[in-house]
Amino acid sequence: MKILFMAAIAVIGLSACNTNGNQSKENTAEAGDTALTQSGNSAIKSESSISEVVTAYLQLKNALVNDNSKEAATAGGDLQQAIEKTDTTSFSAEQQKVFSEVREDAKEHAEHIASNGSNIVHQREHFETLSQDLYDLVKVFPSSQTLYQTHCPMYNNNKGANWLSETKEIKNPYLGTKMLTCGEVKEEI
Amino acid sequence: MSRTKKILLVILILFIGIQLIHPVRNISGQVSLNDISKTISIPENVRPLLRTACYDCHSDNTDYPWYATIQPVGWFLASHIKDGKKELNFSEFGSYSTRRQKSKLKSIASQINDGEMPLSSYTFIHRNAKLSKEQKAAIMDWAVKAEEGLE
Repeated sequence: MKILFMAAIAVIGLSACNTNGNQSKENTAEAGDTALTQSGNSAIKSESSISEVVTAYLQLKNALVNDNSKEAATAGGDLQQAIEKTDTTSFSAEQQKVFSEVREDAKEHAEHIASNGSNIVHQREHFETLSQDLYDLVKVFPSSQTLYQTHCPMYNNNKGANWLSETKEIKNPYLGTKMLTCGEVKEEI
Repeated sequence: MSRTKKILLVILILFIGIQLIHPVRNISGQVSLNDISKTISIPENVRPLLRTACYDCHSDNTDYPWYATIQPVGWFLASHIKDGKKELNFSEFGSYSTRRQKSKLKSIASQINDGEMPLSSYTFIHRNAKLSKEQKAAIMDWAVKAEEGLE
């Protein structure tokens, strides 16, 4: 009984920590763009783009480049939130179609990456499929920032994999610091 | 009554009490219209492997062991099955978008390849769910081909 009781307390304690952690993360994120927040949420929303989704994805990508699974997990959580928050009201019909098609899948991958903070191999598996989702998504948002679809021929026993990067310079998120410059730019978006 | 006896009695009463709380069983007893076999062809050699190694937690029909009737084991199993079905439910596979179907097939192959699935805690009890190298290869081969076949 005592053990059960203590376990229950531990579980409650853990979940409480979790919430706190998330909150403080949100707080710092918000503090970063206070100006934006103060100008009113509606102002950002009306812009209605996928920029937050792309930003979180790129953060995730860069964490994987640095072999940093903890940061990747955080970015995965941010990405999940960004996808959930995205306001699609001003999207074109085509954009809405693609977004709703990608949403569930991408969110699930982001969620898995977030919950596997100690398993970078697994994070990268999800990142691969996620990158395809993101590629399909940014293709219908031509006005968003310039991105490069990059290909690594070696990942997954030479099956190869793609990722989106904000720079032409190759920094490989699949092989990380082991093979940092493996890959080539396939397309500018 | 000594202190120890009292404590033991309380534990016994609690144990009997929790036996009354049964989680809902995951047995639909029928093949769903969205079952994976209705969307994707599964070769003869792979089908029984999925059934013995995956379906207990990843379908609407669990083959329960006898001790599942004892609590809190039953609760533990129920929560496991709930989590498993959330990730992948072969009985509802047809209701997933093509994108998600592809994703799931890919994850099936990689999870088996990484040795993550079936869970070792599961194969520890269900010895027949432990997959040989050849069986793993058969499932991975099927999943990869099925994924490529979807468009």
